[in-house]
Amino acid sequence: MKKIEAIVQPFKLDEVKEALQAIGVEGMTISEVRGHGRQKGHKEVYRGQEYTVDLLPKVKIELVVPDGRVDEVTRTVVEAARTGKIGDGKIFVLDVVEAIRIRNDDRGESVL
Amino acid sequence: MAMPDFNATTDALISLAERAGAVDRVVWEAAAELLFPAVPEGLAVLAAGGYGRRQLFPFSDVDLLLLCRNEEVPRENKPAISAFLQELWDSGLRVSQSVRTPAECLEVHDHNIELNISLLDQRFLAGDRPLFAGLSKKFPRFVQSNRDALMRNLVRLTRERHGKYADTFYHLEPNVKETPGGLRDYQFVHWMEQLRDADANRVTSPEAPPELQQAFRFLARLRISLHAQAGRDQNVLTFDAQDSLADSSEGKDTARWMREYYRQSRTVSRAALRSLEAWDAQSSALFAQFVGWRSRLSNADFAVHRERVHFRIPQQLESDPDVVLRLFEFVARHGIRPSSEAVNQMEPRLGRLRDHFAEPRNLWPAINQILSLNFAPLAVRSMHETGVLFALFPDLEQIECLVVRDFYHRYTVDEHTLVAMQNACSAPAGYGEILQELPRRGALLFALLFHDAGKAASDPARGYEGHVDASLRVAELAMQRIQMPPQDRDLVSFLIRSHLELSSAIRSRDLSDPKTIHDVAQIVGTEERLKALTVLTYADISAVNPGAMTPWRSEQLWQLYLKVSRELTRELAAERIAETSAGPAAELIEGLPVRYLRTHSEAEIAEHVALEERSRTRGAAVDVRSLESAWQLTVITGDRPGLFARMAGTLAGFGMNILRAEAFSNSRGQVLDTFVFADPSRTLELNASEVDRLRSTAERVILGKVEVLDLLRNRPRPKPPSRRVRVPATIRFDSEASATATLVEIVAYDRPGLLYDLASAISSRGGNIEIVLIDTQAHRAIDVFYVTVDGKKLSADQQTAMGEVLHQACGAV
Repeated sequence: MKKIEAIVQPFKLDEVKEALQAIGVEGMTISEVRGHGRQKGHKEVYRGQEYTVDLLPKVKIELVVPDGRVDEVTRTVVEAARTGKIGDGKIFVLDVVEAIRIRNDDRGESVL
Repeated sequence: MAMPDFNATTDALISLAERAGAVDRVVWEAAAELLFPAVPEGLAVLAAGGYGRRQLFPFSDVDLLLLCRNEEVPRENKPAISAFLQELWDSGLRVSQSVRTPAECLEVHDHNIELNISLLDQRFLAGDRPLFAGLSKKFPRFVQSNRDALMRNLVRLTRERHGKYADTFYHLEPNVKETPGGLRDYQFVHWMEQLRDADANRVTSPEAPPELQQAFRFLARLRISLHAQAGRDQNVLTFDAQDSLADSSEGKDTARWMREYYRQSRTVSRAALRSLEAWDAQSSALFAQFVGWRSRLSNADFAVHRERVHFRIPQQLESDPDVVLRLFEFVARHGIRPSSEAVNQMEPRLGRLRDHFAEPRNLWPAINQILSLNFAPLAVRSMHETGVLFALFPDLEQIECLVVRDFYHRYTVDEHTLVAMQNACSAPAGYGEILQELPRRGALLFALLFHDAGKAASDPARGYEGHVDASLRVAELAMQRIQMPPQDRDLVSFLIRSHLELSSAIRSRDLSDPKTIHDVAQIVGTEERLKALTVLTYADISAVNPGAMTPWRSEQLWQLYLKVSRELTRELAAERIAETSAGPAAELIEGLPVRYLRTHSEAEIAEHVALEERSRTRGAAVDVRSLESAWQLTVITGDRPGLFARMAGTLAGFGMNILRAEAFSNSRGQVLDTFVFADPSRTLELNASEVDRLRSTAERVILGKVEVLDLLRNRPRPKPPSRRVRVPATIRFDSEASATATLVEIVAYDRPGLLYDLASAISSRGGNIEIVLIDTQAHRAIDVFYVTVDGKKLSADQQTAMGEVLHQACGAV
């Protein structure tokens, strides 16, 4: 099993979700996050006061899939989230040791 | 999934009493068999809580009190007591027992006030009757002498419970026991009355008014059927349960069924609130002092007594029904709710009020006043609670208690609307600031009031598609009937039509893409509309549920606002009206900023064309007219150095306060200046000849026949502002925003003559004012000048020099 963490532009969330649902991925966790990679922040001025916006809003999508589906899922996310510009985000793939369904203590891939 | 019990249960009270009776028999048998053979005296079994008052729900806990003569009794008879309780559990009862001595029953348990309260409903079941008689003889005196502590604790518990449910009964999946307006609230009202009325000899059980009893029976029937369905103590009226209850009702309409639920719940909720208020009123000495002070707010129509507004002459409701609008204006001004008496006096007349307001007439000034005052949300909430809102706008009744079923919404549509209005007026930081800067707050709140009015007419299954258009139709009819002026009407229609635009831009568009920002700027058109729409969007999203407006989302909305605001500023200088159809208007408007077309109606443009024609013979033309709550002066002339400063100075010389101003020039070098100003001493209103004198003086100033300084010489200088309201001036230069001019943005404490001083300061450093946009709100002037020197942007040195004189001008008093 692998965990896929995708950090994408907020306005791409709906498209990514739909694309994942289209290939049969239903379960995911979504959080509103802030951060920056190479896309650094910038200065804003409002009413004469200057402030720096260095952490930009992003959305983090987390899902766990069987090993065999990793390529398909990451490809889907990349295609749906890409605009080609700086700030499109990143995907990280991590190993998952175990999955447990709390309700009935089921274990392994059947939980996904 | 059918739930026959709800309809089959003809009288909940009988079912509950039957259940209590059945449990009584089980307890008697178990006690006779297992308890009393071992403990023939010194122990009594009492029923307490809901069981004690014979209102036992199918799967509720059975509250038993084992009253023991002393602490030895339970210790010595542990096996018998355990066997007794075990037997009850084995017969399927969920027993919640406590073991107490009479002394323990007669002390206040601050941390377990439920124990004290449950004794109000005590009932003897079996055992040592003299022991029980001893307790019940002393209990009334205990209640009487500890009344305050008991009531205070009960109120605290109730407030904590209400807080858990965000103090509203309009939940989409309500808990029929715990939410405000639930069964617990009914009991709360009853207990408070028992505590209040108790004397040394007895604790009475006062009878509730019929509508409250009816509401209780409804809720009790509902809870019985929820228990029957779940097979356990389950009190949440889930969407599934709502559907099955509606299915077995007449009409099979869930929305309608739920409305009935909310109506019953509202009756209970109101009774509970009245009880809480009565406690506040009597409990605090400080409060009493404050209340005394507040009663000085009373006037000819209304008296303030105990923090509530009363009609002085209730008969006025017959002779002068508009007094209800004045009542809610009073509420909106002072933040004091109508008294129960006032509510009761209005209630029977709601039908007649509806007829009274149905006639189309100019009601907007009165409504606008209510909506523009500080406590407007409270006023609208009270109008909603009393039904006056629906007498005034019957179409809003469609969203009363209307349920929106999705994962995000927490409230019914009407409650969402009220919460949104509240959120708009209490918006934090930046949003609050732009609200302060909004010239037409009444129109914004009116738009919020109607923004979801069409939800009843659209299909929930299709995501309420079309509700925006439906809301717009409802609002337009209402605006027509109350004769709202076209300017406000346009703003309201725009806000309702666009109320999803900003949130949809945040959700689905790239905010760093200039195209997104440009598109949104096209939709909103002007800074004023952008501000109003931003506040509305903030209020709307945060009223979906308490967690909906996350800091993350709030930041996104704010970024969007900043970017679009900057785009509109850039566009003001850059985008000019280019191709226009031929006609008399074309010559005048070509080259004016595109903003001009967005902010002026065709009629106004035609008037400007006529004014321009007049200016040809004399070199300048000035028009002065009265608006609703202010005056307006319009100038058309060829461009002259210092023109804007001299016009501002002329108005200051007449003692006028400039509220808003615009100065634009067209391709032919003509200048169109518009000033909206207040006339604080009503000079123009009271002396018609002064209007002519202002007009002709303005013309003579333009043509150089009169010096502004002569006009200003005799004006008294205004007093410096008190330190509390003083706003430190900020002056910012920006040469990036516009391709041709330097933008000078000044935010300063407003005072008469400020604009003249600022414009003169700019002229004194050789600055030519190309475009001006002036706004003032609540002591604050927000001025934007586009300035050039010799046709070019300002150099760094020129900016420094001009900054100095402008700072002096801001401080010059």
